[in-house]
Amino acid sequence: MSTITPSLRVGVDIGGTFTDLVFLHADGRLDKIKIPSTPDDYSRAITEGVAAYCAKMRLDAAEIFEVVHATTVATNAILERKGARTALVTTAGFRDVLELRRIRIPMSYDLGWEKPAPLVEREWRLEAAERLDARGNVLTPLAIAALEQAVQPLADAGIEAVAVCFLHSYRDPRHEVLAGEVLRRLLPHAYVTLSHDVLPEMLEYERTSTTVVNAYVGPLIGRYLARLRERLTAQRIVAPLLVMQSNGGLISAGAAAARPVTIIESGPAAGVVAAARLARDCGHANVITLDMGGTTTKASIIEAGEMLRAAEYEVGSRVSASSRLMRGNGYLLRIPVIDVSEVGAGGGSIAALDAGGSLRVGPLSAGAVPGPACYAQGNMRPTVTDANLALGFLGADSLAGGALRLNRELAERALQTHVAAPAGLSLLDAAWGVHVIANSNMVRAIKSVSVERGRDPAAFALMAFGGAGPVHAVSVAAELGIRTVIVPPAPGVFSAFGLLRADIEHHAARTVLTSTAQFDAGSINGAITAMRDELIARMRDEGYAAGLVKIVTQVDLRYRGQSSEITVALPEQSVTESALRAAEQRFETEFERTYGHRGNTQDFELVTCRLIATVPRATHYEARWEPDAAHATPTRAVYFGATLGSLQTRVVTRKSLADAAISGPAIVQEYDTSVVIPPGWQACLDAAGNIVATAA
Amino acid sequence: MAFDPVRLEIIKNAIGSVVDEMVLTVVRIAYSSIMKDTMDLSSAFCDAQGRMIAQGLSLPLHLGSIPDAMDAVRAEYGDTLAEGDIVVFNDPYQGGMHLPDIFMVKPVFVGRRRIGYAIVVAHHNDMGGRVPGSSAADSTEIFQEGLQIPVLKLFERGVPNATLISMIRRNVRIPDVVMGDIDAQAAACRIAERGMHELAQRFGVDQLERYFDELLDYSEREARRVIRSIPDGVYSYTDHLDDDGVDFGKPVTVCANVHVAGDELTVDLAGTSPQVRGAINSTLSFAKSAVYFAIRAIMDSDAPNNAGFIRPIHVVASEGSLLNPRRPGAVAARGVSGFRLIDAIFGALAQAVPELPRAAGEGGTTSYSIGGVDDAGRFVLFREAIMGAWGGGFHREGIDGVANPAANISNAPIEMVENQAPIRIERYELVADSGGPGRWRGGMAVARQLRFLGGRATLQLRSDRRNFPPYGLAGGQPGRGSMNLLDEGKEEWRELPTKFTRAIEKGHAFRHTSAGGGGYGEPQARDPALVLADVRNGKVSVGAAERDYGVVITTQPWRIDETATARIRNSRQASLAAEVQ
Repeated sequence: MSTITPSLRVGVDIGGTFTDLVFLHADGRLDKIKIPSTPDDYSRAITEGVAAYCAKMRLDAAEIFEVVHATTVATNAILERKGARTALVTTAGFRDVLELRRIRIPMSYDLGWEKPAPLVEREWRLEAAERLDARGNVLTPLAIAALEQAVQPLADAGIEAVAVCFLHSYRDPRHEVLAGEVLRRLLPHAYVTLSHDVLPEMLEYERTSTTVVNAYVGPLIGRYLARLRERLTAQRIVAPLLVMQSNGGLISAGAAAARPVTIIESGPAAGVVAAARLARDCGHANVITLDMGGTTTKASIIEAGEMLRAAEYEVGSRVSASSRLMRGNGYLLRIPVIDVSEVGAGGGSIAALDAGGSLRVGPLSAGAVPGPACYAQGNMRPTVTDANLALGFLGADSLAGGALRLNRELAERALQTHVAAPAGLSLLDAAWGVHVIANSNMVRAIKSVSVERGRDPAAFALMAFGGAGPVHAVSVAAELGIRTVIVPPAPGVFSAFGLLRADIEHHAARTVLTSTAQFDAGSINGAITAMRDELIARMRDEGYAAGLVKIVTQVDLRYRGQSSEITVALPEQSVTESALRAAEQRFETEFERTYGHRGNTQDFELVTCRLIATVPRATHYEARWEPDAAHATPTRAVYFGATLGSLQTRVVTRKSLADAAISGPAIVQEYDTSVVIPPGWQACLDAAGNIVATAA
Repeated sequence: MAFDPVRLEIIKNAIGSVVDEMVLTVVRIAYSSIMKDTMDLSSAFCDAQGRMIAQGLSLPLHLGSIPDAMDAVRAEYGDTLAEGDIVVFNDPYQGGMHLPDIFMVKPVFVGRRRIGYAIVVAHHNDMGGRVPGSSAADSTEIFQEGLQIPVLKLFERGVPNATLISMIRRNVRIPDVVMGDIDAQAAACRIAERGMHELAQRFGVDQLERYFDELLDYSEREARRVIRSIPDGVYSYTDHLDDDGVDFGKPVTVCANVHVAGDELTVDLAGTSPQVRGAINSTLSFAKSAVYFAIRAIMDSDAPNNAGFIRPIHVVASEGSLLNPRRPGAVAARGVSGFRLIDAIFGALAQAVPELPRAAGEGGTTSYSIGGVDDAGRFVLFREAIMGAWGGGFHREGIDGVANPAANISNAPIEMVENQAPIRIERYELVADSGGPGRWRGGMAVARQLRFLGGRATLQLRSDRRNFPPYGLAGGQPGRGSMNLLDEGKEEWRELPTKFTRAIEKGHAFRHTSAGGGGYGEPQARDPALVLADVRNGKVSVGAAERDYGVVITTQPWRIDETATARIRNSRQASLAAEVQ
C-alpha cells in the first residue's frame, strides 16, 4: 500500500440520502466511500469522509491535489423554499412577468393544480422607469433618483439578494449596469444579479426567471462553498475546489458562487459525463444512459461522443415527467444543461391497480424511508424492488453486500394483497407485471431523449448505473432494440467518479437576432470577440493560461419566422459568409433529421452566438477499481415471465467474468447492484472492467 | 378479468406516446406563433372503425371534435381511403369547428390492412375572409369568414393535390405560413404512422385491436365510476354572454341542464339562445367538447381521452340554437360560447358536488389580431391570446395569471413580439382588486397594453365577461368585469365594446383587461393574514380589504387592526343574521 500519493484527487457527489466519495490515486487506483449525508450542513459529510479515508489509508490530507464537487444544495433550497429573501427590479409595467410566466399549465383537466409561488413576492418586485426598444435604442432613460427611493425599504426588510431584469437588456445592458450600481451602493451587503450577466439572451420571462433563481440561491451557495473551503482548510486540504455545472463542465468554487444558477443540476450531469468519457474509452460513440435511483429514472443521450444539451429546463418541479409539453410545475432556467429526461419510476416506486383495472407503477414512491416493503420499515405497499426480489432478480443479501437484509416474505405479501389478488394474477405474474411496467416507464424516458429528437435508440448502446438500473437495463434495451448494454464498475458511485473526468468549461452567449443573408459582421464579431476575451479572463482567474483554452463557437439558427432554434457549430471562430453558409447546411441537416423534412424557405435567422471555452483534462485513464469482496451464491430460481417461466439461474461476481463470458440466464451480483442477464443474452468483462452484455 | 392489466397499461402508455409525439412535432416545426408558441392544436389516433383511441396532450376544447370529424371523413370516403392519402377540411358544417381549424386525417396501414387514422387539428393564422386572422366576432355569415374547405384529399396515394393547394394559397393572406403549418401537420401524421407501425410489429395487429377495445372499455368504466359518484338529479345553471358582437349590449343566454341518473349523464341545453347573427355560434361538436371537458375536469382519473370516455355522456341541443347552428351561420368566434357553456356546467355541478368545481374564471381567452402594413408597406399579421384567472374553490385559492383550463395555451414573449412585429407592449400586469372576494379569493385580472407602430391595420378583438362578470360560489363574490380601452395617440382612453373590428393607425394603443375570477366562500371568513399578504403584495387595496373582507389594515408598519376587524366582522355577521330572520 502506498502511503504518499502526490496527486490524489477526490470526487464528491452529495445526494439527499448519501454522500459518495471517490478517490483517484496517481497510479490509477480507485476507492469509494458511501456515507449518510448530513443535511444540517452538507459539507460536514465531505470532510468527515475524507478524514476517515485518510486515517484508514494513513494518508496526509495535505497531499490531496484537487477536490471536485457535485451538490444538490441549490436544488434543495428551491424545493424547500429556503433561499435568500430576494427582490426584483423590472422595467415599469412588467413586474408581473415573473408571476405570469408563460401562462400554460402542465396538466390539462386538473382543477386542483397549484401554481408554484414566485420566488420573489409581488411586494418585493419593484418597477424602474426605463425602456429600450427591440433594437436597443433608449426610449426612456433610467430614472435613477426614483429607483434610489424605491430601493430604500429593501434594506429595512432584510432583503439579501436582488435580481435586475430590464426589457431588451440583451441588446444594451447600460440601464441594468446603472441599476446595479445603485443597488450595490444602497444595499452593500446584498447579492446583486443583473440579467445580462447571467443570460444575455432574448425572452423576458426566461431571462427574468433565470436571474431570479441565481439571486435566490446565490447567498446560500456562496456561504456553503465558503464553509466547505474553511472545513477543507482546517484539515490542511488547500487543494483547489471545483464544482460541476449542469452543462457537464467544471468551474472553480469562486466562479460557482458568482453564477450559482449554472451548478443546479450538477449531480445528474456528473453521471452523464462519466458515461461519455467511459463510452469514448471503450469505443462506443453512441450511448444512451440509464440512471435509476429510488424515486426516478433519468435518461440522456451521447452521440458521436458528445453529450446532448438542452437550452432550458425547470428546477424544483415535483412532478417528474418525460414530456416537454408538461412545463409549468417548477422554476424555469434557460441555461445550457445536459438534456436529461426523468420519469417517476425508481426502485421505490409503488405499484397499484387503479380503479379502471390497469396496473400502475409510480409516480408515488416509498423512497429510501420507509422504502420498499422488503426493507421491513413499515411500508406495506409493493414497490419495484419488491417485485425484483419476488422474481429472484434480487436476493435477500443483494443490497450493500448483504448489510441490509431484504425480507422476501414481506415483499410477496405486499404484491399478493395489492396486485396479484385484485388482478387475478399469480404472485409471480403480478411481480413480473410490475417489473415490465417499470421497464416501459423507463422506455418512455429514453424515447423522450431519442425518438422525440429523431434518433433511433437501436443505434445506441445502453449504459446503466445507479443502484437499481442494472437490474432492468437489459430488458429495457431489448424493448428498444438495443443490442449492447454496458454496466461500469462501481455503478453506485458513478456520478462521483464522473466528477474526476470532466473538463473545465465556461459558456458565454449573446442574442444578436439577424438575418443570415444580411448581417452586420462587424457588430456580431465584436460581440464574439468580447465573449472570447471574457471567457479567457474567466479561465485566467481560475489559473489556466490562455494557451490551454480551447474555444468553440456555436450559433442558434432557425428558419425565419419560426421560434425553435437549433444550435450548430460554426466552422470558423468568427462569423463570415462561408461560415454561415456551412452553419445553415448543418442546421438544415439537423432539422431534417429531427423532423423528417426541411423548411419551405431558405431565409434563416441567426438568433444567438454561443462560445464554449474548455480546458481539457487528461483524456485517458488507467483507472482501476479494487474488486468487491465476492459474496455470490451458486444458483437460485428466477422468474422470467410466463413464456420462459422459472429458471435456475447462476449468480456470479463481476470478477469471475474475467475468466469466461457467461450466457443468460445469469445474475452478476455486486456490492451496490445486481446485473440481470436474461436468456438470449451473454455477458463478458472488457479490458476496462465494464460488464458488457450483448444480445445473442 | 378478461384482459391483462399489465398489457393494458403498456399499450395505453405506448399509444399515449405516439399521440403526444404528434403534438411535439407540430409545435417544433410549425411556422405560425399560434401553433408553435400558443399550441392551439390537438392530435388523436382513431381505430379502423373511426373510434378515437387516444388524444395527445393538447387543447382540451378539441376533445369532442375528433369523433364528429372522423364521422365526416367516413361519410365522404367510407372505407376507400388508400395508403398515402391525406384528407383535409375545415368546414364547420361538415365535421369542422371554425374555418381557421384545419383537420388533417391520414389512414394508417399495416401491410394492406388499415388499422386506423392519425388526426391533427390545428388553428391556422389566417384562412382569408373579410378580416385578417379570420376570427372576427362581427361576421354574419360563414361566407365572410374565409375559405371553406370541404372534406377533400390533400394527397392521393402520396401525390399532392395541386389544385387544392393552389386554391388554398390564393385565398389566404400568408400562403407560405399556412402551407408551412399544413406541412407540420402532415409531418405529425407521418410520425404517428411510424409509431403505430412499431406497435403493430411488437404486439401484432390482432392483439393491438383487441386492446383498442379494452382501452375504450377502460375509459368508459372510469367515466361511469365518476358519474355514479354524483348524486342523481337535475341541476341547472344559466349564464350569459355580453352580446354576439353585432347586436351590442344584447345578452346571449347559455343554459346547462345537467341530468344525472346512475352512471349516465346528459347535458340538455334547452333555454339557450337561438342562433345569433354574430360569429359566436358554436357547432354542436364544439359544444360537446365543452361538455366533455367539464366532466373530465372533475374526474379524478387520468384514463385516456377516447370514444369510451364519452359513451355515458350525452348532449342535447336543438338545431338552430347558439350551440347547434345551421349553415350559413357565422362561427369564427365560437370559442367564447364554449367557455360560457363550461362555466354554466360547472355552475350546475356545483349544486351537486360543491367541493369539485371552482368559481368561474376569467371567462375564456381574449384573442385579438392585428393585420395591416408596417411603415415600409410590408404585410403584417400578428395575433395572440390574453389570459387569465382561475376562480377560488373549496379550500383552494384562485390562481393569478394562468391559462384557461379548457384552452391551455401560452402567452407570446414580449421581446419576440417587439422584434418581429411593429408593436410595442407597454404594460403586462396583474390588476389590483379584480379577483372576486371570497374565503378563497378569485384570481386577478390580467391587463395587456399595446401600441401599434406600423402604418395602418385592422384590429379585431374578441372578449366577454364585462356585464356578466365571473360568478362566485358558496357565498363568494364575482370577479371584476373585463374592459377594452383605446387611445388614438392622444393619451385619452375611451371604452370599446367587448368584441370589435376597427381600423387603427400608427401610434394608436389599446389596453385589454380580462375579468377576474370569482371568489369561493364568504369573504368575511377569509383568514386576515391572507388579506394582509394580498394587501402587501398590491393584489388587494387597503380600502377593498375593509370593504370586501372586513379586515382593517394599517400600513406603517404593516399590521392587522384586530379590534377594528373584529368589530366590523361581528356587526356584518349580526346584520346578516338579522336579514336571514
